[in-house]
Amino acid sequence: MFFIEFSRVVKFALQSILRNFWLSLVTVSIITLALFSVSFLFIFNLMSAHTLAVVEGKTNVYIDLTASATPEQAQLLVAELQKLPAIKEAEFITPEKTLEDFKARHQDNKLILQSLASLEQNPFRGSLRINVYNISDFPVILSELSKKDYGQYLEIEDQEFTDAKLLIQGIGDYSQKIQRGGLIISLFFIIISLLVVFNTIQVGIYTHREEIGIMKLVGASNSFVRSPFLIEGIVYSILAVAILMAVLYPLLAFIQPYIDGFFKEYSTSLITLLNQNFFRVFGIQFLIAVVITVLSGFFAVRRYIKV
Amino acid sequence: MIKFTNVSKYYKPNVVALKTVNLDIASGEFVSIVGQSGTGKTTLIRLMIAEEKPSEGQIIIGGWDITDIKEREVPYLRRQIGVVFQDYKLLQKKNVFENIAFALQTCAVPLANIRRIVPQVIKIVGLEGKEERYPFQLSGGEQQRVVIARSLVHKPKLLVADEPTGNLDSINTREIIDLLKKINELGTTVILVTHDRDVVNSLKKRVITIDEGQIIGDQSKGRYVL
Repeated sequence: MFFIEFSRVVKFALQSILRNFWLSLVTVSIITLALFSVSFLFIFNLMSAHTLAVVEGKTNVYIDLTASATPEQAQLLVAELQKLPAIKEAEFITPEKTLEDFKARHQDNKLILQSLASLEQNPFRGSLRINVYNISDFPVILSELSKKDYGQYLEIEDQEFTDAKLLIQGIGDYSQKIQRGGLIISLFFIIISLLVVFNTIQVGIYTHREEIGIMKLVGASNSFVRSPFLIEGIVYSILAVAILMAVLYPLLAFIQPYIDGFFKEYSTSLITLLNQNFFRVFGIQFLIAVVITVLSGFFAVRRYIKV
Repeated sequence: MIKFTNVSKYYKPNVVALKTVNLDIASGEFVSIVGQSGTGKTTLIRLMIAEEKPSEGQIIIGGWDITDIKEREVPYLRRQIGVVFQDYKLLQKKNVFENIAFALQTCAVPLANIRRIVPQVIKIVGLEGKEERYPFQLSGGEQQRVVIARSLVHKPKLLVADEPTGNLDSINTREIIDLLKKINELGTTVILVTHDRDVVNSLKKRVITIDEGQIIGDQSKGRYVL
């Protein structure tokens, strides 16, 4: 009994999709477009999160060692710092390496290079390069370093500390703003998409209102009348997500060179990013599509089912 | 078979569609319900098929008190009553066979039974060879035959026809009325709601006359008197 009813409901749903081909096509297209805009926002958010993570990862703070600190003491200090859980990386930069980097950085500036050559000795002292897991931990770590036993080997000047703090706060604020902005835009687009899909399904069922009345008059139960429309919603969602996947991958491959050109060393493979978040992007969107089509179907049918 | 006791139906704000209607129709009868437009004939039919509930009174169909019928019970009632409308109410995207089979499909009748029953009713209404046609490929008379066939698949004890000949010419009207008489002779109670004076007079069956929501005439071999 249940199997007969279920198979008929599925058959009616598929028949309705095929016999109302153009309406089905429009509905699937609108759901696909809605998912498409949401997907792009997903990818934009993933890309901005990735870029910020790279920027944060590349943000180092250099702290000068005091003139009295020996390379051995510096290495000991590095070993101690590496034990701190918040620190990702700590490295001793020798005076020679600092000089070398300075020269490389100013290789086009003859005046600076000549001035440097006129000095008898290396003007640079050794320093520590510190990189942390979470950029917001920086101020706390810097404050710790200035207080404890490390203080005798390190020269944390107020200005240097303030500059580092401002830079780190700036990056943190920028990161939060982008994420908050992305979330607001995403919510805005998701709400618009939901309303458009909801309306499309309602219009689709409006065209079936006479059919619903006839079904009721020949003795169909409410669940039998409603179920084909709910199954139609699920089928539309499956088709829309399938089309979305078929279009999104080639499109991402196409725009990848432009993304690489824009983000340069901060760029990443969009397809890899999408694959890493496959269920988040497609799974959640499929679930949202199913919920919205099924709910719109349910409420739209309810309006015409009272015969 | 059908018993209306003091049935009234009001619509807001102050429209009286039916007022204190008492009606008793026995099994196997052929009853014509006549009256001018807006007198309450269609409301009477709607109450019989539980499309509406009475404001007052009691309705019993085949021993089943449907006065306060629950929504989930309505499909079971409708499977026992065949209904024919003036505007046919056929599914335009289904062909003749599918339209008739649909009434059986909705109540989980196995496919083998559907394949057996549908050709039988198609034969009764004289639509053999037109099973694959869609409603728009049929004449008005043929569409009404499909509706009658659909209403017969459950072998109902009661067939209600609301202005079934309203959109038909005289030849098709005669054929549909003959078909209803044939169905009645096979034991089904038939209630015919009509405006058509000639049809009522030719039937020589029971006639109930309604005016302004009240029964003003009930004759066992009546004529159209309005």
